[in-house]
Amino acid sequence: MTEILQVTIFGLLLGGVYALFASGLTLAFGVMRIVNLAHAVFIVAAAYATFFAFEELGIDPLVSIIWLVPLFFILGVGLYMTFFVRIEGSPRYVEMTVLLTFGIAIMIEGLLGWRFTGIYRQTQPSYLTDAYFWGDYIVPAGQLYAALLSLILLIALWLFLRFTRVGYGIRATMQNRDAAQLVGVNVRRVSAISFGISTAFAGAGGAFMSYLFPFFPFRHWQWIALLLALVVLGGMGSLKGAVAGALILGVASSLVVDQIGAGWGPMAFYAALFGILLVRPQGLFGKEAVA
Amino acid sequence: MIEDRADAGGLEPEVVEAVAAPKGPGRSRWGVVAVLLVGLLLLPLSRPFIDSYNYTVLLATNGLMWIALASSWNILGGYSGYISLGHAVFLGVGGYVAAVPLFYYGVSPFLTALAGGLAAVALGLVAGLITLRTRGPAFIISTIALLFMFLLIFENIDYLGGTAGLPLPVVPISRDWLKAPFFYAMLIAAVGSIVLSYQVAHSKFGLGLRAIAEDETKAEVAGVPTRFYKIIAFALSAFWVGVAGAMWGYSLAFVRPTLFFTVAISAQMVLMAIIGGRGTVAGPVIGAVLIVAVNEFSLTQFGSSEINILISGVLLVTVLLFFPLGIVGTLREKRLLPAFLDWD
Repeated sequence: MTEILQVTIFGLLLGGVYALFASGLTLAFGVMRIVNLAHAVFIVAAAYATFFAFEELGIDPLVSIIWLVPLFFILGVGLYMTFFVRIEGSPRYVEMTVLLTFGIAIMIEGLLGWRFTGIYRQTQPSYLTDAYFWGDYIVPAGQLYAALLSLILLIALWLFLRFTRVGYGIRATMQNRDAAQLVGVNVRRVSAISFGISTAFAGAGGAFMSYLFPFFPFRHWQWIALLLALVVLGGMGSLKGAVAGALILGVASSLVVDQIGAGWGPMAFYAALFGILLVRPQGLFGKEAVA
Repeated sequence: MIEDRADAGGLEPEVVEAVAAPKGPGRSRWGVVAVLLVGLLLLPLSRPFIDSYNYTVLLATNGLMWIALASSWNILGGYSGYISLGHAVFLGVGGYVAAVPLFYYGVSPFLTALAGGLAAVALGLVAGLITLRTRGPAFIISTIALLFMFLLIFENIDYLGGTAGLPLPVVPISRDWLKAPFFYAMLIAAVGSIVLSYQVAHSKFGLGLRAIAEDETKAEVAGVPTRFYKIIAFALSAFWVGVAGAMWGYSLAFVRPTLFFTVAISAQMVLMAIIGGRGTVAGPVIGAVLIVAVNEFSLTQFGSSEINILISGVLLVTVLLFFPLGIVGTLREKRLLPAFLDWD
């Protein structure tokens, strides 16, 4: 029992970080119908930025979030204005976003591989090996900080969407793009901002990835597979669903690792994806079938 | 069922016209094909006449393999518009289905290659039954997940050699002619997949797939059994990829999960089909030849595969934004398409 609870604690901490990784992905789909296959490569790029800031300048990964978020926001808005504005009226739009982001992902992966080679990296802040003890249970410090900060960022996003003017615009666009446009929402501006927020969250996620999960350029494919599975489980475009999916799969994959073996953890994600497609294709919190 | 072409569920006139195939004099293009085929058939016999024989045959074999892969991908991704980013999974399954009997029992992959293809078809059917229940992005996402799921499974099963894979014996023939059997095998796969692609393009089934690409709801209303068609297209597009996988592993003398079950291979198929012109018969062939040439050039020029990846990405984005119809599609639109490239 103790062991199961301990594994559940690990799983929830992981799930918190997964939720942050996936939030931007589901936001991009919810607002702009963009299936962003480049989302994970943004996270990996941010992890590289964090890594070198730490190695060269001694900046702590958690402090790096302060500059990563605005930097990746600007990058996201720039990418949106450069690429996605061009395909707005394209007939098979969702499919087009998949192919376009696929190309962008390959491009960034190639750039990262060319500049930084394919070797594994991991930032080594002092708290990486620290732990807190809560009764009989171990709570690794680095994971705890990551999960707490992820939670704070997600709450901030929720408050922003709920209580600001831009947030209203974003939610209106999520519900019905055409109607939002009709009632005076500047849909293009809202889309660019949303994509910026989406990549800004990838930027913040990179800070955590840099010390929690060893990375190299090609790694992002595995991450995007996991994150997409998680987002489909929760319901594409649903933030609530992404958080729920992340926590469920964080715990489930930790249990799989504990019970079956270290290599089998991601299987929980794929099993969940194919399982949910069989019984409820729209996902746990999805309102409509994924179309 | 669609009987009357003009009534094909509100299809755009171009589509109906493009599919209402038999047109134009085919003689000159058959001439080109005959010359190409004879040239290819004779290539492995040219050992006494060219210096860089091994390199030439290897490059040609490689080109033929990619023609088979890109043409196969096009059957689903081109005609029906359902993008699969996990097609490398069929290459891996074919590779292992041939490698395991060879490694454990010494059965030649030249005998089991078809089984590799059929195993890929079976996987396509099962995966299609689950993932093609929905439309749009869920399918694409499941294809990536399928690929990584298989990578995970193959890396964790000891019988299959785990992450290290299985070493395979070399073909028991003279070193001088070692490359020839693989060349002919890949030639069969390439021709087979082009013929399959052509047959699909010119059948009622292919018409149904194009209708799905155009507007799935309309296609369904018009009586196209969309789900059934999509699953069949997915399975058909797996066959020659599986066969090619069986041959590829044998020619490399090993199979390894990270080499076969990788997004990089899927990405190349997508890139080739799109650059050449997806949804056309000749497009993926042109795309494959072009990309194999570009890769070869950049490898000898820059010597790193990272630059290769970067170039692939830049090419894909550029083509999507500026020539979404690809080479064949763009030429046809401008009425500049030479007859020997017009097979639609």
